[in-house]
Amino acid sequence: MMRHSHTAVVERNRVWKGTFETEPYEAAWAGEAIFFVRTLEASGPAADVHARVQISPDGMYWCDEGARVPLRGEPGVAFGRLRHFGHYLRLVGELPEGAEIRVVVYLSLKE
Amino acid sequence: MPGYDRTYSAALRADPRLSRFDPLSHIIFFDDFDNGLQGWTALIGNYEKSLNSMLPPYRDLRPPMLSNATMWDTGSAGALDGTYAMKLATRAEAGGLAVAVKRATWRVQGPIQLEAYVTFKPEATELELSERDVRAFGVLFDLQDAERRVMPHLRYLNAQAGAPVARWQYKKDREALEDIGASGKTRSHFHLAPTGWLEAPGDPQPLCYNEIATKQNWHYLKVGFDLASMSFLSFRCNDRVYDVSQIAPMVMPAMANLWCMLNTVFWVETDLDKRAFLYVDSVLLSGEWS
Repeated sequence: MMRHSHTAVVERNRVWKGTFETEPYEAAWAGEAIFFVRTLEASGPAADVHARVQISPDGMYWCDEGARVPLRGEPGVAFGRLRHFGHYLRLVGELPEGAEIRVVVYLSLKE
Repeated sequence: MPGYDRTYSAALRADPRLSRFDPLSHIIFFDDFDNGLQGWTALIGNYEKSLNSMLPPYRDLRPPMLSNATMWDTGSAGALDGTYAMKLATRAEAGGLAVAVKRATWRVQGPIQLEAYVTFKPEATELELSERDVRAFGVLFDLQDAERRVMPHLRYLNAQAGAPVARWQYKKDREALEDIGASGKTRSHFHLAPTGWLEAPGDPQPLCYNEIATKQNWHYLKVGFDLASMSFLSFRCNDRVYDVSQIAPMVMPAMANLWCMLNTVFWVETDLDKRAFLYVDSVLLSGEWS
């Protein structure tokens, strides 16, 4: 049986500065996931920063899953992978003062 | 209905998943979302060279996802049939939209009919009824023949600025068509803008919202449209059958690269800084030809 898969663009051309969080995305059907964060452009001290994966049973109350995604301080793409995450997924983080990145964020899900 | 023979009717009745629909003679697609999103995807505005060239209202339309309708207090409700439904979720920003589109083409310029089981709710962030928090949800076709691009729009305006409305509306006036980029090939118009909506004939139609924000009931929709005359043939929501003689689609001159287009779109809009959800359990598009 071929496994189902789906890639959602959860952020597109969005500017992150200071604290940020992606919208909740339901993934109860999936067994594995990769968050890709593509940096389109960056300014300030945006390197060496990580976004944290969070999980939630209801899309409202969140806890850290443990996985992290490095953010690139120049155009390029980075990722973090995870399994056994239950239901809702999102990315959160904080960029240092003066740092700003414009991102496309993909959530690639697979059964 | 021509072509609707007894064998076809019996076959539909024998399948519990199809017997709750009344399709025309050919099923173009039937998606119940227990096997993925089945071709339903995010809507994006047109752009050229840079995403920044997109009209601002198109830049952040939220994408569809698969949901088992899990509530914080009661767990997974599941769908009307099976486990999963397609879910559209807005941002928690008043006026925010989430949109899903499925793109096809037509082969016979005759009647088509969309049927769907849907429900809508706000995110249950408050222990309150919250029945006025979802502004609207809707369905539209995006069609083109040799001369015209035609966009029949229908939305259920649940509430506006906190006041209940509970009316179906249509939209026939076009939004401004704007050039995108410099090639002269790309244009865009934000047809889901909150302006220009007109009331469908009849009284308000309050829908079953239920008694707390985490209980949801499924509703039946049926929209009939004739690709030959480019006019509405029917519209039904649950027990209410609407007079469509006065309901008109948006019409504009044909555009390049859209010949025989048959797109179907669902969307939901929030009235508050709170997420609004539309769930589509199943959707069936059928057509009439021999």
